[in-house]
Amino acid sequence: MAEETTTIAAKDIDEKIAWAKINSDVLRSMENPRMGYWLAIGVSIAMLMVGIYSEVYQYNTGMGPANLNNPHMWDLYISTFVFWIGMSHSGTLLSAILHLFHADWRKPIYRFAEAMTTFSLMTALIFPIIHLGRVWNMHWVIPYYSDRGIWPNFRSPLVWDAFAITAYLTASVLFLYIGMIPDLAICRDNAVGWRRRLYTFMSIGWRGDDRQWRNFRKTYLLMACFLIPLAVSVHSIVAADFAMAIMPGWHVTSFPPYFVAGALYSGCAAIITLFVLLRYFFKFEQYMTLPILEKTCKLTFAIAMVWSYLNLIEFASVWYGHDIPAKEVLIAKFSGPYSPFFLGMLFCGSVLPFTLAFKKIRRSPWLLLPISIFLNVGMWLERYMIVAPTLSLSHHPWTWDVMWPGWVEWGIVFGSFGWFGLLFLIFVKVFPSVSMYEVKEMVYHRRRVIFEDAELRAHEVKTGASGAQPLTSTPEGS
Amino acid sequence: MSLVRNFIEDWSRYRRSINEGGFHEYEHMWGMVIDLDKCTGCNACSVACYAENNLAVVGEEKFESGQGMHWLRVERYWDEPNIGNERVRDTQEHGGSFMPMMCQQCNSATCEPVCPVAAAYHTPDGLNAQIYNRCVGSRYCANNCPYRLRYFNFYSYYEDSWPSPLDMQLNPDITVRDKGVMEKCTFCVQRIRSAKNTAKMENREVADGDFQTACQQTCPTTAIVFGDLLDHDSEVHKLWHKFQTKLGTTKQKKDNPELRGYRLYEQLNTEPSVTYLERVRDV
Amino acid sequence: MARKTPKKRLLGLFGDFDQAINVIVDIRHYEVPGVSVDNITIKSPIEHPEIEEILGERPCHVSKFSLSGALFGLIFGAFFLAAAQANFLIQPQGGKPVITLTSNLVLMYEMMILFGVLATFVGFLVGSGLMHRRSILDDQMISLDQVGIVIEVEDENIDPVRRLFKKHNVLEIRDREIREQ
Repeated sequence: MAEETTTIAAKDIDEKIAWAKINSDVLRSMENPRMGYWLAIGVSIAMLMVGIYSEVYQYNTGMGPANLNNPHMWDLYISTFVFWIGMSHSGTLLSAILHLFHADWRKPIYRFAEAMTTFSLMTALIFPIIHLGRVWNMHWVIPYYSDRGIWPNFRSPLVWDAFAITAYLTASVLFLYIGMIPDLAICRDNAVGWRRRLYTFMSIGWRGDDRQWRNFRKTYLLMACFLIPLAVSVHSIVAADFAMAIMPGWHVTSFPPYFVAGALYSGCAAIITLFVLLRYFFKFEQYMTLPILEKTCKLTFAIAMVWSYLNLIEFASVWYGHDIPAKEVLIAKFSGPYSPFFLGMLFCGSVLPFTLAFKKIRRSPWLLLPISIFLNVGMWLERYMIVAPTLSLSHHPWTWDVMWPGWVEWGIVFGSFGWFGLLFLIFVKVFPSVSMYEVKEMVYHRRRVIFEDAELRAHEVKTGASGAQPLTSTPEGS
Repeated sequence: MSLVRNFIEDWSRYRRSINEGGFHEYEHMWGMVIDLDKCTGCNACSVACYAENNLAVVGEEKFESGQGMHWLRVERYWDEPNIGNERVRDTQEHGGSFMPMMCQQCNSATCEPVCPVAAAYHTPDGLNAQIYNRCVGSRYCANNCPYRLRYFNFYSYYEDSWPSPLDMQLNPDITVRDKGVMEKCTFCVQRIRSAKNTAKMENREVADGDFQTACQQTCPTTAIVFGDLLDHDSEVHKLWHKFQTKLGTTKQKKDNPELRGYRLYEQLNTEPSVTYLERVRDV
Repeated sequence: MARKTPKKRLLGLFGDFDQAINVIVDIRHYEVPGVSVDNITIKSPIEHPEIEEILGERPCHVSKFSLSGALFGLIFGAFFLAAAQANFLIQPQGGKPVITLTSNLVLMYEMMILFGVLATFVGFLVGSGLMHRRSILDDQMISLDQVGIVIEVEDENIDPVRRLFKKHNVLEIRDREIREQ
């Protein structure tokens, strides 16, 4: 078995953990919420209330208080939409890619990452809806048969968005759910009361049969295969919202890969943030270990470099393309009224990740918490810098203008964080945020590796062969 | 079956529009010529537009923050040496020039394909129509308009725009728009409709001069000329012909450097129906 | 149908996966006559891809579901979008064809994946026999760390199987009669 013979350099997980301890540790994290938890829930609800109040006000008044005006028809709503969509990319995409590559270290962290995906997608979903001037007519974007022969306009990237987000939300919820079924069965066997009823319903009769496992493995693989192209296409389509327009600074061919890289980047940073918080609050030190954190940081660093490169490419192609309006926008980003945001974005997005190059920093969770938050601040600024300067400085010089978002916009953006936090907080107490069965698999394989290593060493002692010889090439094999 | 027929007809129309630049199977093709050398910047056209099309008067504060509803705006530009010169007041003699801007009724409009609900629609008259009832207010069209000539109802302006009895002067031929709807210049589509209806009742084609748009009617120097580009006897067609302005091109080529006439942002291939008479100079 | 000889299901719980494997290996070597590997079900807390080698290849049809779902989504998407656009009476928009293949490709792609994913999920539910009534022969320890082997045997073979289980240090044995419908 080839998997087991690969030597694992850093020890991702301690192989001596008893399986019963894994169960009890994770199940413990789901019960008896402490005071702090309720406090966090309260804060989230309060933030959400601010958002709901702003939205109700906007619903009744119109889009005016959001300070949108003639050149700035989109603003924080769309940039925050792109931000949340971006956040939603890491969980599923990374989980699927790492699954295909058999990167075992994903196992303790993918559950909460996928949950983060689903919830940030649900948060993102809100924005294109509430940015509509007439929210009450949003169902017109859905293609349904009407007697008047009216359909949505299938050429509009906003309709592509509707399709893509529907597909992505469905797929990532199913991916999260399918991966969770064996764990839900564990929960079912250990729960009482309403939880038992819930888990019994949700685990839909999982018994751990070989037939179930076989289908499960295949299904999970297929889902991963579906999700990778889906996730890439979703963010490309979000990029198409901009790239399909003829506005200077938006009409850029490299936007889709740029958006995908940015999405992965902000998602990875968010994973680090949540990793540190969960590790501390749920005492998951044994599962969310430092080597895993380090690997996540390395991945983030790599993606950050890809993102920075694509940024440079965009600047260069605009500069040498000599499309005057686009060049104007680029110059204004560097030197105009938006320059503090733009330079802040470059600092947070391209300079700050270099801290991740140091092993000391990669291994100190409490330093990584502010760093990862600032990375995401940079990514949020990036989205704002995509939307706002182009609108301020479009083709027609007469309409050039700079604006500052109104309180309603800030309120709704603030509220969206509350909404995301609330969903995530509920998730960690209702569902296992570490995949129990896969951590067991990790431990199991780790034990086997240790065992095989011991065998190998015994074999070496007997034959005097050099240590570099891999196990599979030994004459007897298994 | 009608489905297949629809499809084939549309496809052949599309193929023809590709082969013959600027071909459109229109009944009419409403177009405009604006002579910038005649324009005095008096803003009468803008006022007429407000009166004709029930445009909301939003008040100074909202206008300042860019939420005004001026479908027709007169833009002022200054020759560069005069900018910041205190001695030179805002007068045309000192290098100011004016540009009345209304929806350019592009023949391949950028606003149309991006509307998610197809509320931005091209009529068989070659007009770029906005269907208020269908609009959901995604504002993508306004973002994609290089001329920035689409206006959004950020508030329910009608509530305090026309305090009684001013609401009695609203034009009954056109709706009063509520919040959350995009709107723009229609080339006074209500006048086009009534002229067409009259012509139909009198059993004839719409003739040039049957009606005028509000801005054209009001312009004291007759800088604005409006009419059917497909009608070879119309004033507009003659002017387009005279100044060698062509459809289906991204750069107007003139035989004679004295000839004026250009369309805005032709290089974006939006095919506007409005020609501005002014020589294009390199600065 | 004539009533066959009474059958029973036997569940043996093992503390270690290797012990369970050994039981199956023994059965494969016909140590217990009349019991074949095909009647064995293994219940385990984690995934063991290696049991395929012992139990033999067993069918798995999920990928067929995925393929047909994806194809359905693609073809349905193409026809649905084309039909909707050709049907859309007010649609002529400046400079663009009515049925826009390029943008439809994007939507077809999304629909292909959406239906592929949904079909995969349905295939998973059908293929793994989920959403059935709970079988009684089960133990909570299986979701913790023990491995269970369920064997369908005729009455006369019960004792040899029990002996085999005990030989491999079984922790617990339960049995239950199979009721015929």
